[in-house]
Amino acid sequence: MTGESGSFATSSVAGALRELAALFRGWGAQDSGLARTSQPAGDDAATGSRRGAGGFVGNITAADLAAGDAFNLLALRIHAFQRASNPILRRFWDKAPGAEPAVWHEIPPIPVMAFRDVAIVCDTPEAVFRTSGTSGRRGGRGEHHVASLDLYRAAARGNYRRHLLRGVERVLMVSLIPDPAVVADSSLARMAGFIADEAEVTGTVWAFDPVMGVDVDLVRNAARGTDPVLLLTTAFSLVHLMDALGSRRLPLPPGSRIMETGGFKGRVAEVNRGTLYQRVERTLAVGPSRIVNEYGMTELLSQAYDGVAGSSLAGEAPLPRRHRFPPWVRTRALDPATLSPLPPGQPGLLCHFDLANAGSICHILTEDLGSTTGEGGIELAGRAPGASLRGCSLMAESFLRLAGR
Amino acid sequence: MSGGPPTDAWVWPPDLPAPGALQAGTAGGISTRYPQSDQHLARRLISSLRESRRRLGGMRASDLANVLGAVGERFAAGLDNRVVTEVAANAGLTPAMARVVIRGMADTWTTDSLHRLLRSEFPDPAALDRFVDGAGREVRAAAPGVTLHIGAGSVPGVTVTSIIRALLVKSPVLAKPGAGDVALTARFARELHRADDRLRGAVAVQYWPGGDPGWEAWEREVLTRADQVVVYGGDDTIESIRARTPAATRLIEHPNRLGVAIVDPGGAADADHQAARAAALFDQKGCVSTHLVLFLGNHGDAARWCGRLAASLEGLAHTLPPAAASEGELSTRHQLRGRLAVQRAVSGDIRCWAGNAGAWTVALAPPELFEPVGGRTAWVVPVSDLAGCQQVLAPLARVLQTVGVAGLGARRHAFAEALAAMGATRIVPLDQIPFPDSDWLHDGSRPLGELVRWAELR
Repeated sequence: MTGESGSFATSSVAGALRELAALFRGWGAQDSGLARTSQPAGDDAATGSRRGAGGFVGNITAADLAAGDAFNLLALRIHAFQRASNPILRRFWDKAPGAEPAVWHEIPPIPVMAFRDVAIVCDTPEAVFRTSGTSGRRGGRGEHHVASLDLYRAAARGNYRRHLLRGVERVLMVSLIPDPAVVADSSLARMAGFIADEAEVTGTVWAFDPVMGVDVDLVRNAARGTDPVLLLTTAFSLVHLMDALGSRRLPLPPGSRIMETGGFKGRVAEVNRGTLYQRVERTLAVGPSRIVNEYGMTELLSQAYDGVAGSSLAGEAPLPRRHRFPPWVRTRALDPATLSPLPPGQPGLLCHFDLANAGSICHILTEDLGSTTGEGGIELAGRAPGASLRGCSLMAESFLRLAGR
Repeated sequence: MSGGPPTDAWVWPPDLPAPGALQAGTAGGISTRYPQSDQHLARRLISSLRESRRRLGGMRASDLANVLGAVGERFAAGLDNRVVTEVAANAGLTPAMARVVIRGMADTWTTDSLHRLLRSEFPDPAALDRFVDGAGREVRAAAPGVTLHIGAGSVPGVTVTSIIRALLVKSPVLAKPGAGDVALTARFARELHRADDRLRGAVAVQYWPGGDPGWEAWEREVLTRADQVVVYGGDDTIESIRARTPAATRLIEHPNRLGVAIVDPGGAADADHQAARAAALFDQKGCVSTHLVLFLGNHGDAARWCGRLAASLEGLAHTLPPAAASEGELSTRHQLRGRLAVQRAVSGDIRCWAGNAGAWTVALAPPELFEPVGGRTAWVVPVSDLAGCQQVLAPLARVLQTVGVAGLGARRHAFAEALAAMGATRIVPLDQIPFPDSDWLHDGSRPLGELVRWAELR
């Protein structure tokens, strides 16, 4: 640990999280229309707060994070205060190889499954988000104890605005993701709530009930309006909506767009995304260029998107579908056998370092497979499949169901 | 995927027409081909097997044991590298492991083993041939028509054992092997066809990808027309077959199980090696495989014993090397080790030993964290006594099967009584875990007894 980063270990965690939130809002204000829109309640960002302007972030700007030095500096500072404020993490890192990291990727990651066992948080949590239990992960529900919801909003906002709300004046939000007032422990529902607060959103229809499922009538009513619709949905609910509509068309108003998420984690993994998008286009009249996939995890406060909804219609050539995180996230693909980093293009286990996770733990080894691209994107390949051949010995998934975990 | 020509994953009775078209596929690590789904052919297949029942029924049970045993012995004796390599590739095992597994399984296919199985279940095995005296009445045992075996696992030999059991009780059998058990099953079935004309008509093997929508009509046909169904597999497989099997059809289920060992090291110096072997055989994919070791002793002693267990597993990694793990299996192991490292930061009592490239893992950790992750992972929990064992095993009661014990001495019966009460169905010395005898009480049932119905004549 460098002397400089070590000196921040005694900084107030809450203060550091506030500075990081301001820094992230600064990135959100660039190129995403934030400066032209009013801010949601509780969001104090303005274009002037692009710098963290505090003792923790210093003079680092959001734009600096794309470069390695600024990212590394902040990563090590966060590591220092996580180490100082969380005795579990301190002991974990003390016993792990690389206890004195000089660069962010030398900080030993924790496995995503550890969120099932231990509350990992560096301050008093404001919220606890739980994994769905239907994510295809082996049993049990992970818990992400989130120290600052303001930081979560700041980390999420810039990227969803860039990818979902670009060029939008007015939009009706229809959510097949539960209302956060109903499912308070879902990080995805909370993000949907953030989006509902945006100035461009003229109204919100929560059309999914955790017990009853998708309310097709509510979706149908929303389609009758004139405002374009922003449909937020899991891939699973989108398939359900398509099944419920059958051969009937339900064209959404022109300019409508869709964010779908999930589907890389089990339940709808067998649904081919291209086929699904074609079906959506036929039924809802929303073409693939207006459908964006979001890759997120309960355990990460930042998200990645694989495109900008409607970008090709604005005269821009659509980028290849690669998921992109904001600049405060680094992703590596690691060799599944040795956990050594792999070069771009070579698939391995994805390991993310998300500065927005400053309140819990930044460096997380996932069970997702994918590769990095040379220009900072990631190409997802789904969940690492389990044993290709299973025997007759009971394995974890069934066992945990039996044990009620 | 291994090179070479595809393995024919079907063996049909001779009176059926040659299949018109073959479907190419993969099963485990080999290429396969098998007749395409055709529900009319499925109907003819079951009818053909049913017609063979009279000829099969004309054989005496003891003669059947002789014929089947001779095939089993010839098969084991003729085991060459080509067969072992094919079976290994199909099952996802290394050739060294496959050879040990085939030989271990084949020990229950010998003439002596099959006669012992008959005698253990039928005081007079002639009850399978005719009515025999049964204490104030006459009794006879008969299997109901055609048996359909559905295997979903990858342990080589499971399907062959199931075929032999059905034939011993004179039930023609259609066997769908698990994806990793295709090569051995097809080879053995061809040996049976060659051995005796009466067996040729009574044995059919057909692989199909279970649950594939393209095979739905075929599955419906065979499930509807078979007289009894024996299914091996995980929860999804069992539930799917259960939902589609007619109520009047006997359904015999062998769900996935969990193996446990109980070790008192004071009375068993070699227990670490035996436990390592119990965890390593079948690469921990067998229903008998040990995942959880209850160590009678304190934490410090357990930690020292874990070190020896780790050394034994490392030795086996060289003599019986594990197969290459899939990305998912490797990921699971990284997650487990990472979880344990985090848990160790919470409670210093947790220890973890790991082999290179995920070859094996020993976890000394509390039972609340236990989950069977496979990959030669032995989860060791120190307990002080029988009550401690019962406490740990209580949540596992419904999936308990084999419990290997070592060093219990005079306490053996007391432990056995308690374990049986909890649901364990096989309590054996630790070194006998991997390969049950032919007459073992498979999942608590008599393997032939569960296939027959008894008739009484008064």
